[in-house]
Amino acid sequence: MQKAILEARKQEYRPDTTDIANVVLFLAAFVGIWQLVSNIGIFPSVLMPTPAKVIETIARLVTDSSMTVGIGVTMWRLLAGFAMAVGIGGAVGLTMVKFQGFGKTMSSFAVGLLTFPSIAWVPFSILLIGFNDFGILFVVIMASVFSVMTSTYGSIRNVPPIYIRAAKNMGASGFALLRYVMIPAATPSLIMGIRQAWSFAWHALIGAEILITTLYGLGHVLHVGREFNDMSQIIAVMIAIFAIGLLVDRLVFMRLEEKVRARWGLNQHNE
Amino acid sequence: MAQIEQEYQGNVILELKEVSKTFPQVEKNSDPRRHGVLDRLNLRVREGEFVTIVGTSGCGKSTLLNIIAGLDAPDSGSISAKRDNKNTGKAERVVIFQEGALFPWLTVTDNVEFGLKIAGIPKELRKEIASNFIEMVSLTRFAGSYVYQLSGGMKQRVAIARALALDPQILLMDEPFAALDVQTREILHEQLLQIHKSTGKTILFVTHNINEAVQLGDRIILLSPHTRGIKREIVIDYPKPHDIDSPEISAIRRELLNELQEDFKFAKSHP
Repeated sequence: MQKAILEARKQEYRPDTTDIANVVLFLAAFVGIWQLVSNIGIFPSVLMPTPAKVIETIARLVTDSSMTVGIGVTMWRLLAGFAMAVGIGGAVGLTMVKFQGFGKTMSSFAVGLLTFPSIAWVPFSILLIGFNDFGILFVVIMASVFSVMTSTYGSIRNVPPIYIRAAKNMGASGFALLRYVMIPAATPSLIMGIRQAWSFAWHALIGAEILITTLYGLGHVLHVGREFNDMSQIIAVMIAIFAIGLLVDRLVFMRLEEKVRARWGLNQHNE
Repeated sequence: MAQIEQEYQGNVILELKEVSKTFPQVEKNSDPRRHGVLDRLNLRVREGEFVTIVGTSGCGKSTLLNIIAGLDAPDSGSISAKRDNKNTGKAERVVIFQEGALFPWLTVTDNVEFGLKIAGIPKELRKEIASNFIEMVSLTRFAGSYVYQLSGGMKQRVAIARALALDPQILLMDEPFAALDVQTREILHEQLLQIHKSTGKTILFVTHNINEAVQLGDRIILLSPHTRGIKREIVIDYPKPHDIDSPEISAIRRELLNELQEDFKFAKSHP
């Protein structure tokens, strides 16, 4: 019986063939309509390049390595900014749990900043830090740190007290209680918060890269496309941005969430 | 009563003196167990004894257990337990909660190992101890399972193994089988008596079920919201498991039932 359950759990992550067929069908329809719109000629062909032209551009951007370098630089910035946001947000979040008064005050402050449009940090960052990587990182961190903060605070505060009582009764306290009970117990909800923070960071990064012009990055390639009226380059970069967002979300966060949910037995209603 | 006192000289493992506890008035519909009030309660428990504690809801039986466990502090009075030098660093009085309070992010083995890990016991020894107790509750086949894969009865057995693994002086059980169906409960009663016999652990078992109390206990303590403490104390000196249909046990059961009904009426007339 136990084996069967474990087997079933493994299969949950595997997309089945109908899922793949649906995606292929959807893509085909999308490209078809795009082709049709370009052929009809409502828009001049410079402004509405065909799918084939965009693929050609992607190939060019890859061979002259502006796309690959752009992706590399952008991903590096994303990772660095996001890691710092998780570190700072997590630390402040834990401090908020520890000191109730600070927690309450900081929480309402952070919720306010959570809805603050990240792009509005750009002028501030340009003047304070300048047109460089750190300026971009600052915007990325400000965009996602409050989400990590509030989610750490909320998730840990919502840990069922029975777990904490049981752990204390078995001798856990202080750091051990945090490390072995509170954080793992908060994980399903924490992952959701971190996933949201990642998406905030991603939005902010591309925006910041377009506005805070440096020499590299996907946002910069996008910006160059606009400067040269090269719509096919703009679309090519948009496709790359879309693909990265989708891939990271599916391959990292959804998998992580699925894994945790399966382990906790939270997916049983789907069976 | 005097006779009981005498018998208890020498091997008393736990002694409560004049323990009082009150809770501030809470709002309606809140957990009735939180209303528990104790007034200068005295209790002595002998080493290896199986004591069951019964009473209507709100009589303070869970409160008493929490105070003994050290999860709640009494307003006044003292609790002294015989210290066992072997148990340095490990929990001495471990609670088994009604909901089991197992950690859903850990496997059965890891749950059982939890307290040992906190106590800093090396991994190999931990594994060995855990597997022994998992075997004792006949769950070896499920050692690698997660909590959601277990039935209610299995969860409580894991909770028992987890508590025993810490080698506590006293096992505190807070209505551990209340959420189980009758058949499962019967099986667990048998297992628990078996474990009591083979380990010689002192057990304090809180329940609202008189049959359960009479079946399991060497001594039954009736708590009453009326007297705010121990109202009756009955020692059952028959071989276990006690057959609740035998005339002697039946008589005790009826006696307790009458007392409980009195308390119930009292509770109704003094809301």
